[in-house]
Amino acid sequence: MLKALAFATVVALAAPALAAPQVGQPAPAFRLTDSNGKARSLADFKGKTVVLEWTNAECPFVKKHYAGNMQALQKAAAKDGVVWLTVNSGAPGKQGHVDGAGANAIVKAKGAAPTAYLLDAKGDVGRAYAAKTTPHMYIVDPAGKLVYMGGIDDTPTADVADIKTAKNYVTAALADLKAKRAVQTASSKPYGCSVKYAG
Amino acid sequence: MFHWLAALALLLLPTAAAAQSSAQLEHTSVELIAETATPAPGRTLTLGFVTSPKPSWHTYWLNPGDAGAPTRAVWTLPAGATAGELRYPTPETFVVSGLMNYVYAHENVLLVDVTVPAGLAAGTPFPITAKFDWLVCDDEICVPEGATLKLDLVTGDGTPDPARAAAFAKARAALPKPVDWPARFSFVGDRFVLAVPFAQAAKVRGGYFFPAVEGAIGYAAPQTLGIAGDTLRLETAAESARDLAQVPGVLKLDVEGYDEPLSFEITAAPGDVPASAAAIAPAAAAGSDGGMGWQTATLALLAAVAGGLLLNIMPCVFPILSLKALSLARGGASEADARREALAYTAGIILTCLALGALILLLRAAGANVGWAFQLQDPRVIAFLFLLMVAIGLNLAGLYEIDVAGRGAGGALAAKGGAGGAFWTGVLAAFVATPCTGPFMGLALGAAIALPPAAGLAVFAGLGFGLALPFLALGFVPALRRRLPRPGAWMDKFRRLLSIPMFLTALGLAWVLGRQAGVTGMTLGLAAALALGLALWWFGRRQGGERPAVAPLGLAVASLLAVLLVTPVAQTQAAPAEDGTLAAQRFSPEKLAALTASKTPTFVYFTADWCITCKVNERGALGSADVAAAFEKAGVTTLVGDWTNADPVIAQFLESRGRNGIPLYLFYRADGTVEELPQILTVDRLTGLVA
Repeated sequence: MLKALAFATVVALAAPALAAPQVGQPAPAFRLTDSNGKARSLADFKGKTVVLEWTNAECPFVKKHYAGNMQALQKAAAKDGVVWLTVNSGAPGKQGHVDGAGANAIVKAKGAAPTAYLLDAKGDVGRAYAAKTTPHMYIVDPAGKLVYMGGIDDTPTADVADIKTAKNYVTAALADLKAKRAVQTASSKPYGCSVKYAG
Repeated sequence: MFHWLAALALLLLPTAAAAQSSAQLEHTSVELIAETATPAPGRTLTLGFVTSPKPSWHTYWLNPGDAGAPTRAVWTLPAGATAGELRYPTPETFVVSGLMNYVYAHENVLLVDVTVPAGLAAGTPFPITAKFDWLVCDDEICVPEGATLKLDLVTGDGTPDPARAAAFAKARAALPKPVDWPARFSFVGDRFVLAVPFAQAAKVRGGYFFPAVEGAIGYAAPQTLGIAGDTLRLETAAESARDLAQVPGVLKLDVEGYDEPLSFEITAAPGDVPASAAAIAPAAAAGSDGGMGWQTATLALLAAVAGGLLLNIMPCVFPILSLKALSLARGGASEADARREALAYTAGIILTCLALGALILLLRAAGANVGWAFQLQDPRVIAFLFLLMVAIGLNLAGLYEIDVAGRGAGGALAAKGGAGGAFWTGVLAAFVATPCTGPFMGLALGAAIALPPAAGLAVFAGLGFGLALPFLALGFVPALRRRLPRPGAWMDKFRRLLSIPMFLTALGLAWVLGRQAGVTGMTLGLAAALALGLALWWFGRRQGGERPAVAPLGLAVASLLAVLLVTPVAQTQAAPAEDGTLAAQRFSPEKLAALTASKTPTFVYFTADWCITCKVNERGALGSADVAAAFEKAGVTTLVGDWTNADPVIAQFLESRGRNGIPLYLFYRADGTVEELPQILTVDRLTGLVA
């Protein structure tokens, strides 16, 4: 009886779904402060391709990709003039939350190369994008349209060894954009730790 | 010595762990088990991967939901042998910060079938090695864990290992049952609708669909289950209306008559779905697990009797009981008369309770969301009760007398007796008792509604029996009667004093009337009370005289009819903080869901102006500054639901808690546990919640 009650309660209390943005639609606008205190908004990068990467340095799935894979993606993107924004929606007191100095320390220690590391402790931007996992990847085309959202690749594990056999969706989508093709895989199931939102 | 041995054992353990069938990791312990130690060539060998996460940690289903990862296995098998897919038991839902996870928060067994090649000679070593990787998380942290497990089997006759039989039987029972029902799904706008034919649709009390594929539903969105004929219709938010050729998944159902939820592995094909469906019968208290056993019924019955007994000391009932008791003493009734009166009084009470109970059950069967004391949500009933209290009070005060002989009127309290009078006194006692829902009654009445009708009515009857018990005892035990105070002139004085609680109850009801029907309604009620008072006064003056008292009685009846003019005003939501210092917000299930999702400790209580126990608590413990300070310090949000007027949302919520009456006090802790508080609150109890 208790179990059934608990089950019913869980179902009844399931929070409303995050209103997911749609591929092909304009990406939700936002304005956040980066790790150096500078205000950044999506509109600042109009005309450029923008990659959004949700992160939490303590999440094993993020660690898997920061063994080198993510940094390589960031550097390749920068070379092609693609803007890379790392976003942290972890709430204060929760795993992976950082302030500006903490974010800069991680970037430095990992040799990461994002255009900016954005702080979203309130989680507003994360919720606007329905970011669910770390990592969770989004790509916005130069016209401000969302062209990819989902996992970083097709192998949902925390094992570094799996990277070399995985198909990287972000690399593929950026190549499609560069070649002015439609993005072939425009969405996939994100995988990783849950975003540690406030509340 | 013992410690020394234990230390030695610990030292030895790691060396032995090289290729074992089990492993102890930081957050999980795992074991690979085989149904038989001697797999038969040419047959299927079933293995089980047992995972036990430590308390408050969980592992994931094959589709983890919004985040997480399923378990993976890489097999190293003897030549020619193959391993199938992992078969997962039905998972549970677990919501963190608005993200849905499909998990196992307790020991779970994944099964896998291994084919054993034919042609192996008996006695051939058949070693199995598997590397498992899984993710184990609590509500914040995730840890990938893994282990390589080994089983050294030898081919033989395939005799099941008796030591493992129970484990495998349990693991198979936990799997969803594969069925080939022609389930259909359709995306309707931004909604996903699933239609599943189910023979026992009418008995379904709740359910959840776990999709095995991505892109069908928004995992965290609420799912609504309904019935269209013998088809279950489940609707929820669509994820991203993709071109899905089929949607496989697990449908978990709470079905009446089953102790545990039933789970079915279904595959839905695109197709027509019903446009709408009737709501399923709500998952009642324990009805959701179907097995409302006789224990529950017995418990409810006992609680009802105890609750009824306690009602006797409530301000609205006590005067009636005490006068009735005294009338027995005064009358010096014969043994037989005393018994007859006691029985008549009991019959009056029980029949009234049964009538109220039957009415509630009938209204509910007709779809209305009513609970105990629902009649008090109608201001006309309040106005009537108010006038009744005034009339009783005036009678007790001595303004007029009621001669029961041959005229069994409702107010026949202090009167001489007689079975008819006693019966109507019982009716009156039961009726005026309704605003005074006391301890134990919430449990009993909540269960009464979930039980089958006959058992439910028995609970209502039990309540009446409890209420009648003191007088019944007096009637049947002469020794008790002899202990009653000796009759004398003091009784008249006592009777006049008893009018005070009656008038106070009337005052309380007048206030409720004002809240329900506004100043106009209350004024109308007071005017009716004035007319009634004057009429009864006139009536009293004529009593004992020769002239008939018809005219004044007619006037009294007319004033009673005036209550029909009282109409409810649009509910002005009571400012909840009015009665105490606790800053409270208005209750809604959505708000509560948001607060629990954000792990805010939340105190929820339900009140109504006609609920005296509620008001007592609000004036007392809930109004205490200490409680307000302690709650504020601990960041507790308080939600209050006002049930003074009918509100189906509150009725539904109460029902989901297995209640149909108030007060109800709930404390939702940050860790997600819910505590139900007793109906009589103390300051210490409340501050203790956040200490």
